[in-house]
Amino acid sequence: MAIGGLPLFDALKARMSWHHARQKVLAENVSNADTPGFRPMDVKPPVQASGGLQLARTQGGHIPVGGAGAGNDPSQQRRFETTPSGNGVNLEDEMMKVAQNNQDYQFAATLYQKSLGLMKTAIGRR
Amino acid sequence: MDLLKSIVAAASGLRVQSGRMKVISENLANADSTTDRPGADPYRRKVPTFKGQLDRELGVRTVELGRVRTDTSPFRTRIEPGHPAADPNGEVKLPNVNSLIETMDMREAQRSYEANLNVISSARRMISRTIEILRA
Repeated sequence: MAIGGLPLFDALKARMSWHHARQKVLAENVSNADTPGFRPMDVKPPVQASGGLQLARTQGGHIPVGGAGAGNDPSQQRRFETTPSGNGVNLEDEMMKVAQNNQDYQFAATLYQKSLGLMKTAIGRR
Repeated sequence: MDLLKSIVAAASGLRVQSGRMKVISENLANADSTTDRPGADPYRRKVPTFKGQLDRELGVRTVELGRVRTDTSPFRTRIEPGHPAADPNGEVKLPNVNSLIETMDMREAQRSYEANLNVISSARRMISRTIEILRA
């Protein structure tokens, strides 16, 4: 079995390429921070295909699962800052996203590295 | 590779902001440039423009400096009858450069430059982290 076929490695790989793509889009936003009429973009997070653990509602009074509440989705937030030239880039916002993206990438890369170590242990060559 | 593209995009931002700094420093340097004869116009403030464009080879939306236009607002005037550029009423036309506005523009260019630098160093950290996986 090749390492590429393992679901864990596949998921981490998809995650890491998503971070690559997002970094590119965020860099475009920052470099166009003064271009008139420019609207910032972002990449949607990857959706988990299937399986995994799901949250369950065991009581009617619980907060509904699955983001039915409109108020708590940060991607639906309205942009509150648009310059007179029509540019909607908020540099602080973009910096936060870049930092977050970087952190999450480090996280995924570390997980990948640890899983590789796990494989090596299984092979018996440490 | 997307990380290299993000560095290309951020580098275009760096280039534009440094070009903007050049225009701002020209304006500041010429803030008092009058002419030496009556009737002629003094230095006119320059305004940099930006335009986004698509790098088709790499598929990145970069930014570049558009044409540098001139500010069409009226000139400042000062009463100074002895000046070689004074008109019959004793008024001398001064450039329409406001050093306060230029200073603010300079700060903005500086901040945008730093933001682009941040993006580049973040992308570089991601690349070096990827290479580190090999050393595990």
